[in-house]
Amino acid sequence: MDRTLKTRLEARVGSYLRSPIYQRHDETEIRIAPADVPEVLRTLHDVVDLRFEILADLCGVDTGEVMQVVYHLWSPMTSDWLRIVADGISRDDPRAPSATFLWIGAEWLEREAYDMYGIVFEGNRDLRRIFMPPDYTSFPLRKDFLLPDDAARSPGAGVRHVERTHVSADPAEGPEAGIRRAPVS
Amino acid sequence: MPPRQPASRPSKSRAGKRAPEPPQQYASTDDPRVMLDRQIGALFEPIPPYPTQTEREGEFYTLRDGEMFLNVGPHHPSTHGVLRLVVKLSGEQVVDVDPVLGYLHRGVEKICENSDYYHVIDQVDPLEYVSALFQEWPAVLSFEKLMDVQVPRRAEYIRVLTGELLRISSHILYVGFYALDLGGLTPILYSFIERDEIVEMLAALTGARMLFNYFRIGGVNGDLNHEFMSRLGDWMSRAAKEVESSATLLNENEIFVRRTRDVGVLDRAAALRYGVTGGNLRASGVPFDVRRAHPYSVYPELDFNIPTRDEGDSLARYLIRIDEIRESIKIIDQCLHNMPDGPVMASLPRLIRPRPGRAWAAVEGPRGMLGVYTISDGSDQPFRFRIHDPSLLNLETLPALATGHLLADTMTIIASLDPVMGGIDK
Repeated sequence: MDRTLKTRLEARVGSYLRSPIYQRHDETEIRIAPADVPEVLRTLHDVVDLRFEILADLCGVDTGEVMQVVYHLWSPMTSDWLRIVADGISRDDPRAPSATFLWIGAEWLEREAYDMYGIVFEGNRDLRRIFMPPDYTSFPLRKDFLLPDDAARSPGAGVRHVERTHVSADPAEGPEAGIRRAPVS
Repeated sequence: MPPRQPASRPSKSRAGKRAPEPPQQYASTDDPRVMLDRQIGALFEPIPPYPTQTEREGEFYTLRDGEMFLNVGPHHPSTHGVLRLVVKLSGEQVVDVDPVLGYLHRGVEKICENSDYYHVIDQVDPLEYVSALFQEWPAVLSFEKLMDVQVPRRAEYIRVLTGELLRISSHILYVGFYALDLGGLTPILYSFIERDEIVEMLAALTGARMLFNYFRIGGVNGDLNHEFMSRLGDWMSRAAKEVESSATLLNENEIFVRRTRDVGVLDRAAALRYGVTGGNLRASGVPFDVRRAHPYSVYPELDFNIPTRDEGDSLARYLIRIDEIRESIKIIDQCLHNMPDGPVMASLPRLIRPRPGRAWAAVEGPRGMLGVYTISDGSDQPFRFRIHDPSLLNLETLPALATGHLLADTMTIIASLDPVMGGIDK
């Protein structure tokens, strides 16, 4: 856990933060609004005492209520991984700014997030499906996309082999009851 | 599809002699054979049968004077799996490349989100099928972070030992296939001799030749056994010599050097912008290796170098691999000398339910950084299981690297980037 990184981040991008900086093990996490992604990434990449020059990963997340875009960055100036969560993207019309202006390699990662979650990255010039066929219409990693043999989450269709923990199989609770939701944190 | 010839073609043969039978035609367009023919035709048609969707796609699928499309793959042997390339050519020169992915997509992330934490490990094995342990490693690391598990030191050493063995095996295979793609058959034969040794000793340890399923959350599945140790000892006594002798097959080979030098040059800034990792990044002069840049396991205690080169061409990417094999042999030697005694597994419950939280873990695989991002919601299955594979980003540079070279050099560049389609397509 790099305590000094926390103060540096607060000084440089403090005004964009939507929640306190979270640190655990060797990870530092900040939460920002999707619209602020270009400015924050630009600052983190360019400022001399941050220098997050390697984009380790970019992925989408469906929490069951909102979408997120999660970036993992690496810098030689700190011993922590930095995680940036662009939080609160609407599930009905998910849109986020593209990171390709800084890392052209994000193009395929964003295509993957689009393919799996339907998140539209504005500014990506090649946003089409990457793994699924071009005429495919669903977004398979969304939480309301149930696997056909997923007896656990199809209402009333079967019993899980280990234990029921987080899913209601009661059809009376409506179709949304089967969606797994992320813990509030 | 070209239109079929009409069935009633006027016969030009002399009267009295039977005209040759016209090619047999299908009765109607409803004939399933016609439909199958059309589907197969559409499958390999380089121009998409739908309106182009994006700016870049529209640009790519517009031909200027003298240009043509060539379809490579998805079963071309040089594409290392089932990768399809639509290559835009002007004469023999590559103008642009559009890689088409997804032929091997199995939805592993979705499957993992519907599996127990223990089952995830064998689900991720077939991704990086050349070096399966490196795909298990970040998964177990991220789970251990979620649960605050302390891994016994002996287990950490065994992980490093087996991982470095597998890195050598993967790099040796890389060298062999690289030469094979350039038309040289000899190196792959020697590669497989060395690789078989490593595969057999790992099979003695784990019970599997390729998809090991050996790492566990909190340790490894089983301690080192006698057969593994004796095979490893035999191999280590001659490993360095064997590597040097196989390296001379290509290092001094004039055809190989002239076909790879200055082909597909990736400079330092572009490599960082593309997010390239692993040997491909170090061949461009960036000393980024997760083992040193963000140490995990017992790598801080081990003494090894991070070889780098500045040229960034296909030859440098090959030479980096050879240097890394030498470093890995050093690491294995140290592991064998420093191996502590003790248990190889932490004690854990049979049903794992980490507290709600998030964890990212990354390791340095033979092709670059492999990462896993896990979100736990407190249940026995990961809520989100994200797999980051380095081959995807390495392959993404292909259009930029191949442009301007001859078509034959595209194969050189693919081979030098070392993509594994199992990992790319997930």
